[in-house]
Amino acid sequence: MAHTVISAKYPPQIDATRTPFAYGDRALPRLNRELNDETLLVRQRAVMSLCDYLHDPEHIAEALRVGIASSLKNLLTDKNLTVRQKSTECLFVIAGHAIGRDSFLEHSLIIPVANLFNDSEDIARKNAHLAIEMISETPPGAEGIVEANLVPTLVNKLKNELDEIKELILNTLHYCMRIDTAKALAAGAMEVFTSLLTHKAHTIRAKAARDIMDLSVPLDGKNKAVDCKAVEELIKLLKDESPDVRANAAGAIMIITITTKGKYTAIKGEAIKPLVVLVDDETSEVRLNALKALTCLSEAPEGREVLLTHVELIQARTKDPIPAVCKAAEIAVRVITWKP
Amino acid sequence: MAAVLPQQSNAGTYTFASQPRAVKQRKKYRDPLQQTEVGEEDATGMYGNIMYDRRIVRGNTYAQHTLPAHAQPDPIEIQRQQENRRRAIARKRAKDQLRPRSPDPVEGRKHIDVQTELYLEELSDRVEEADVECQTDAFLDRPPSPLFIQAKTGVDIATQIIEGDLFDFDVEVKPILEVIVGKTVEQSLLEVMEEEELANLRQQQRAFEELRNAELVEQQRLEEQERRHREEKERRMKQQREVLRKEKETAEKIAARAFAQSYLADLVPSVFGTLSDNGYFYDPVERDVEQGFLPWLMEQVEDQLERNQHGRMVLDGMLREVVAKRIELYRKLEEMAPSQGPGSHSASAIFGDKLSGELAATATTTESEEGEKPAEEAAEQPPATEGTEEAGEAPEQTPADEEAPAADE
Repeated sequence: MAHTVISAKYPPQIDATRTPFAYGDRALPRLNRELNDETLLVRQRAVMSLCDYLHDPEHIAEALRVGIASSLKNLLTDKNLTVRQKSTECLFVIAGHAIGRDSFLEHSLIIPVANLFNDSEDIARKNAHLAIEMISETPPGAEGIVEANLVPTLVNKLKNELDEIKELILNTLHYCMRIDTAKALAAGAMEVFTSLLTHKAHTIRAKAARDIMDLSVPLDGKNKAVDCKAVEELIKLLKDESPDVRANAAGAIMIITITTKGKYTAIKGEAIKPLVVLVDDETSEVRLNALKALTCLSEAPEGREVLLTHVELIQARTKDPIPAVCKAAEIAVRVITWKP
Repeated sequence: MAAVLPQQSNAGTYTFASQPRAVKQRKKYRDPLQQTEVGEEDATGMYGNIMYDRRIVRGNTYAQHTLPAHAQPDPIEIQRQQENRRRAIARKRAKDQLRPRSPDPVEGRKHIDVQTELYLEELSDRVEEADVECQTDAFLDRPPSPLFIQAKTGVDIATQIIEGDLFDFDVEVKPILEVIVGKTVEQSLLEVMEEEELANLRQQQRAFEELRNAELVEQQRLEEQERRHREEKERRMKQQREVLRKEKETAEKIAARAFAQSYLADLVPSVFGTLSDNGYFYDPVERDVEQGFLPWLMEQVEDQLERNQHGRMVLDGMLREVVAKRIELYRKLEEMAPSQGPGSHSASAIFGDKLSGELAATATTTESEEGEKPAEEAAEQPPATEGTEEAGEAPEQTPADEEAPAADE
């Protein structure tokens, strides 16, 4: 029978895998202390509880104040897998918020997390990639990643990693390339992306096409894309089932065909017909990108010749509900019917 | 019976000795009139407070009132003690005098204590005594203390908790369940909200990126277009310039040609004129005569002259010999006749003149013969006159030559 006397022992732990939280604002300092404990079990429990606790944004602010970031940094090199995996997950959750991302950059957490890319366990790697991907979505974070010379590492990882992780890496590279494309080009990213265009997973194909689009923004990229025969692959992808893939493929084609070489490669590869088909696609992004690609192609006289037959189709698109598509259609019509 | 304390005990160490004696018969009641002996504190006979017992040392031992080392009492100490005694006696006397006493008895009578209660009590000094002795049993273990079972006090009451008495489980568990479920749901809601937020942000980002890409492409395409148009324009302009340049060149060439033509139109006659003036257009017969005939003529003349020359030289030689011989002769003559010295010189001079005259005559005759032959050209006159002049000079020179060799001889 229960005593009325207040017991000196702690209440029984219901969940053995977690430490119970201390009350109110003692929770985080206590967790912080336990994270640096020498006993493995204590650390594991602490990090698991922390992971759940951090889903509340207010807690994240306080956690960063208490100094959880540096404790987690130490835990990244722990020998035990659970600790590593969970601590990267915590960092991923923290990185989902703006202050968390700032603290990432403050404590130079990018490089230790990046070291986990070579971890032997999948789940740790996945979480590490998730965290880095989250960081790269903001410009200072992407700059930090580029400065840390992670771009070549990531490109290498693309060649032989699990599919889920490939998706994450493609995302990360997409954001990094908004900041700086030179390093990615130097690391041979174009070839890797081109090879991924034929992957069986449609998300990977879509993201690879999008990354090719990003990489081709500078002139070097465009030339490289034509050299690596990416244009032919992209033209094939224009008939893909997934709308994402089609949209990104059209987008990549539209960027590459700005140069004369790109234009003629595309025209030779019979890009015009599929693009014309895509002008009436359901997804707005596909229509937009297809119209833009056709605009670029019509800069060349041969393109204009062929497209003059399809002008009415494009004219119909100027009444599209999406304003961007309307504008693109008008521009396309103007360019097609231009006489020197 | 009081113990007799030896006086020496106050000096040196404390000693106490008393003869063994039986326990004093003590009175039941204290005798108030009993006068204690002077200077004595009846510590042993009567009741003594151990607090004030001198034999027991209490308190600090290091601040103790030790007795002096010498056996002899300090004279000052003795004096002080005597004074204390005197004072005590005086105090006592004073107190006694103050105490109220009952008046003295009349003569022949004596005061006696009498009991005045109803019932008389036997008063005795003898104290009831009882002997008690105690002795532990040898070699017996102490038995264990018996279990102390408290005597039952109070009233027996029983109670029983039946279902529903304490609490209703369903009602009570509700808040606990709510908390548990609530926390779980809250946590999961937070996570879901996070993901949703992320998804929304990503969606927005994608929309933005779409527009951005479109704009970027547009911008790059326009740039490219501009560039191409500009290049095209440049090329066309260059072409145009080339054409203009060529036209200009051609015009200049034509102008130059026309000018040259007009300039040169005058040139040809003047050239011809100059050439013909300079003798480039010659009459072939004239030329032939000049080139062929005249040299031959001159050669012939030269030959002739040479022959003449040779002939004259031979003649000269002959004449010289003759003259030389004659001079020799005349010298010999003159040597024979030295008074005619100056006359000899003039004689030789006269001879010389004569000789030269002879020579000149012969030369002119030959010259005139030859001069008659070619009489066609007037140009021969000057050569002929020249020839005569030469010949005239030659004979004049030859006599001088003759003179020299003659003088040398």
